[in-house]
Amino acid sequence: MVACLLIPGFELRAALRARPRLALVPAALAPDAGEEPLLGPVTAAAEAAGMKPGMRLGEALATCPSLVLVDRDPAAVEREWEGVLRRLEDAGFAVDPVEQGAVVFETRGVERLYGGVQPALERALAAVGTAWDPRIGAASRRFTALAAASVARPGQILLVAAKEEEAFLEPLPLSLLPMTPNRYAELEGLGLRSLGELAQLPSGAVAERLGVEGRRAQRLARGGRKTRVRGRKPASELVEALSFPEAIANELTLRRALSSLLERLLARPERAGRPFRKLALVARLVDGGSWRRVTTLRDATAEVGRLRSALGPKLQELPAPIVELRIEAVELAEHTGQQLALVEPAGEEAVVRLREGLRQVRASTGTGSVCAVVEVAPWSRVPEARALVVPRDD
Amino acid sequence: MVASSGSASAGRSAGRLAGRLNAPRPALVETGPGATPRVVNREHVTLVREEWRVVDRWWTDEPVDRHYFEVVLEGGRNVCVYRDAEAQCWFTQNA
Repeated sequence: MVACLLIPGFELRAALRARPRLALVPAALAPDAGEEPLLGPVTAAAEAAGMKPGMRLGEALATCPSLVLVDRDPAAVEREWEGVLRRLEDAGFAVDPVEQGAVVFETRGVERLYGGVQPALERALAAVGTAWDPRIGAASRRFTALAAASVARPGQILLVAAKEEEAFLEPLPLSLLPMTPNRYAELEGLGLRSLGELAQLPSGAVAERLGVEGRRAQRLARGGRKTRVRGRKPASELVEALSFPEAIANELTLRRALSSLLERLLARPERAGRPFRKLALVARLVDGGSWRRVTTLRDATAEVGRLRSALGPKLQELPAPIVELRIEAVELAEHTGQQLALVEPAGEEAVVRLREGLRQVRASTGTGSVCAVVEVAPWSRVPEARALVVPRDD
Repeated sequence: MVASSGSASAGRSAGRLAGRLNAPRPALVETGPGATPRVVNREHVTLVREEWRVVDRWWTDEPVDRHYFEVVLEGGRNVCVYRDAEAQCWFTQNA
């Protein structure tokens, strides 16, 4: 079975870990600077006061003047989410994170270990911990599992049998589908409210009216495809941090701190000579918030100078003085060196550059983002049956 | 305790799978006499260059029954459209 573990409002929960007092008062995650002023997830107290995620900030503050806006803390969110994933992996689950607060995994591999699906899922809930109010939905298909988790109560395990999936999805709201707000409005204008109503429409009419997005939504409303869940490749644990006795904002000091961190990171024996492909620069701000920037390097490298020039300009984006600077190796390259040739064969440079470019795209966008066209039936009279676009992760 | 921030995440479930190249796209087609395309995606057809039928896979659950038209639009573009007899609607595709 495919299971989905969901922690609603994860960003807010993670930000409130350091300020648990705020969890009991009307509080909401503040919008990011430069973004549309809309509320993020809200606490139960705020919800009781009429607040809803996605509400306009002005309207929210007028309705509930005592509303506390919690600053975003991306570093804490990243750290806490990684902790949740690692606890699940320690319990034997090969996890595939969907986004922060939602993770999908298969139970097949651990059912015998724990004595069935239910005990395995109970183990997953216990691994995450009750403090996060996790809930689990499980079904034979990924979308149904995600939908089941969305309607489950905190601490509940909702198992949907294969033959009941259609009936289960039927009354659920359309908001579970990945569509743009315009599409929701269009569907609501047509009088559609539930997944069942969309699923029952003729496919041709949906395709004609709503295009590819509509067809995909309808396929999901009917349960979606049966797909295998691929466990993630765990992130490396190469981290170096530097705490400052007092807040600093001076660019020279920041750059020196970065150089020192890079030297320490490069000296770590776990690296085993491999160059860095992706690095994250994390800072703890003086007011308690945090800041994080991830950089994918054009060429995987372990040269201090190149790393410094790639990461240095990021320091200028710091929004406030900082009290801690941390550098994380998000991804290491697989090779330890590059064999150079005295005379390179013609065209070799272009091939190497292309391969390197594809590696960078893969590193920054994840597996499955680079595809190749494979001819499967070039003789077919049906044009779309002649070739497939297949993800290439080699 | 934190209330739910909505469950739109459920939708991001589709995995990365092999996809079809040159998949048909829905088209807005107005027909003239003889059910030949007159307007394709709000652009008038100036010439119907060729037409043919593809009937295939009739032995499967997904039979193919299409009437293709290769047309030239007002702007000079060559476009291939077909009417799917199963779905009863029009699509464009590079044939």
